[in-house]
Amino acid sequence: MSLASTAQGVDSYILFSVAGTTYALPSREVRHMEMIEGITRVPNAPSFIDGVVFSRGQVVPVVNLRARFGFERAPFDLRSRLLVVQSGARQIGLVADTAREFVNISPDAIQPPNDALTGMSGRYVEGIASMGDRLVLILGLDRILNFAEAQTIGLVD
Amino acid sequence: MTQEGSRDDLAFPDFLDDYFAECDEHFTGVRRLLLALEGSVGRADIDRPVLDELFRHFHSLKGISGMVELRQAEDLAHRLEDYLRVLRQGETILTSEGMDALFAGALMLEQVVAVRRTGGAFPAVGPMAARIEQLVHAPAAAKEARPAPGDSQVVRPARARWRCTFVPSPALVARGIRVDTVRTRLSEAGEILDAVPRVTADGSIAFDFVLAAVLDEATAAAWRADGIEVEAIAEDEPAPIAAPAIDTGEPEAAAPGTGGPSHFVRVDLARLDDLMRNIGDLVISRARLTDTLTRVESHIPAADLRAIQENAIAIDRQLRTLREGIMRVRLVPVGEIFRRMPFVVRDLARETRKRVRMELQGQSTEIDKFLIERMMDPVLHLVRNAVSHGIETVEERVAAGKRPEGTIVLSAATAGDIVRIDIADDGRGIDPEAIVARARAVGLPVPSGAADSATLLSLLCAPGFSTRDESDRASGRGVGMSVVQSAVDELSGTLRLETEKGTGTRFVIELPVTLAITDALIARVGAETFAVPQGAVREVIEVPVATLLQVERNEMMPYRGAALPVVRLSRLFGLPETTRDRLHLFVVGSGGGAVGIAVDRIIGQREIVVRAIADALVRVDGISGATDLGDGHVVLILDPAVLARQMRERPDRIIAGARGAHA
Repeated sequence: MSLASTAQGVDSYILFSVAGTTYALPSREVRHMEMIEGITRVPNAPSFIDGVVFSRGQVVPVVNLRARFGFERAPFDLRSRLLVVQSGARQIGLVADTAREFVNISPDAIQPPNDALTGMSGRYVEGIASMGDRLVLILGLDRILNFAEAQTIGLVD
Repeated sequence: MTQEGSRDDLAFPDFLDDYFAECDEHFTGVRRLLLALEGSVGRADIDRPVLDELFRHFHSLKGISGMVELRQAEDLAHRLEDYLRVLRQGETILTSEGMDALFAGALMLEQVVAVRRTGGAFPAVGPMAARIEQLVHAPAAAKEARPAPGDSQVVRPARARWRCTFVPSPALVARGIRVDTVRTRLSEAGEILDAVPRVTADGSIAFDFVLAAVLDEATAAAWRADGIEVEAIAEDEPAPIAAPAIDTGEPEAAAPGTGGPSHFVRVDLARLDDLMRNIGDLVISRARLTDTLTRVESHIPAADLRAIQENAIAIDRQLRTLREGIMRVRLVPVGEIFRRMPFVVRDLARETRKRVRMELQGQSTEIDKFLIERMMDPVLHLVRNAVSHGIETVEERVAAGKRPEGTIVLSAATAGDIVRIDIADDGRGIDPEAIVARARAVGLPVPSGAADSATLLSLLCAPGFSTRDESDRASGRGVGMSVVQSAVDELSGTLRLETEKGTGTRFVIELPVTLAITDALIARVGAETFAVPQGAVREVIEVPVATLLQVERNEMMPYRGAALPVVRLSRLFGLPETTRDRLHLFVVGSGGGAVGIAVDRIIGQREIVVRAIADALVRVDGISGATDLGDGHVVLILDPAVLARQMRERPDRIIAGARGAHA
């Protein structure tokens, strides 16, 4: 849906990597990026939640994308980033291994996800963009957050 | 105040405040528009939008003045409106005398309202009315036709409640039907419980009356023919009460003699929340400053240090004053909840053939707007319970040597930062044996020995407990006391029960007056820090780990001659166990409901700013919010009441919960 709503034909994305794969989110959904420090663990929260941080006065949950996508957690280093994303009224922090570039991707370069795309992250992928010899998985934020919520409810009950 | 209190006692003072506030808004508009209208003097193409808006203001002023029976204001507004109507219809053009009369008339209207507000002599309205009347040149068609009172041939056993809606229109006015004649007509047919003017979607004004009356179809039909919509109010629908137009606290009406217009300002609650957040940030910055100061104080000459510290203390004091000031603005009188209760009691008592008198005390006690909204249902529930379970029938009361009429006292008072709401009845009291028997019957765990009132309360509040048939209307609503308990828990409050068989029952709700900033104890468990709101903690004790006794899957310790269940936060939250040989315990709850929550140690006490945890991903039981102790890191705030309740109700789940936590 976010892809179809492109006005100028080209959208700006933020690229980040998790466990060796490059992902993209539309940059208008990313409020800001931070170094990762001082996450407070939340007891009995879902396993893919690292905890909470304050981001501009709000308490923001931190989703570990490695854990979310079914990989082992990795220790944070100087390249680790927290992407604070906005979905409706919600703000969520996403932990990525690195996040570095803004790119413009034309809708022509984006294909719908292939059925053969398996693995946890496949469920959240809205499209696949090829950039030169690189493949970028475009994430659907709503899918991540909605699915995450369903999981939470499943865990709590 | 009693149930028999007239409408004036119940809703009128607040309604008047709303009236003044609303008048102020209209007058502001009127002044602006009159100035804008001056450009139209002597011109045939009068500024229609300005005229229309002005017309609406006077129309509303007329309507609301009628509602508060301020006849002089109603009359003046009516004349001004008439004049604007002929101008609108192009029957005459706006002359400079006309403009002067509008200014003078509007000014007098303001004076009349100001006099109603502050006391004093009303200006003579007659000459002004005549002056405007002359300008109209058209006969004002307001003939006083007295409608026949609704005399009923069919007698119904009980008075029902009716919603009567009246929308004034020129056609009705021409027939002599105006809001004041409607009011007279309704009050002759029954008792007007409530009267609220409102502006409809198309900008005209409508009046909603709630009438308690015995009404036959013929009367209703006659009323409908005269533009009064009549509609029965469903039995279980709560009596609608004038919704206060002002969201925030209105302390008292301005003292008489201050003169001038109303001093109330309408403020959006969200803006106050913003201010509160700003102050919260200030409090945190202030704490940071103290920390920094502590670190550098050895490098500062003593005299300078003292000066800085004095300033820091001054800032502290000023911050506190500022914070209290903002909080006071958020406070609204608890009367907002209380004043609808007599209606509820009246209806319910009639239905159950009981005689009940309601006393309201401390209605002006102020609590946070946020709390008011959330306390409405719990208080309503307890009042309903008092009528249907507490108060006996007249026969039972007489047989027990009591007055035939039962009394329910609803009172509120503040003590420091705590507001206490009591719901007390002089009914049959709660029979502990019946409660215990019932609890056993529905399979609730019941402690052996005599049940104290805290135990009784926890049984009453257990989900699934109900002592009466569900057909009993009052208890059939909602899911009983468990809702009351959880509403109180959510507000970091406590619920208490005092009861004596044959004498009566009293429920006591204690709540923090406001929530945003609170004092907290800071505790450590392993490497984690938690804040515990001090209001919820009854006692803090230090105990050797060795004194904890393993009882099946739970730990207990001797405490004041009884066994206190202990839950270790480390186990609950999946954190490393302490290696120390002593623990700190927070004792929360009382009597049979007391629980000790164990932490490694308590490291201090702080004033904390409470931030909500809004996102479902991280909302977990037992954590009520988050705070920042000055270093920018989130510190979770425990909710001891919920932890204790979980412990009491489902100890297994707590242990299972720890397993679910990730390492």
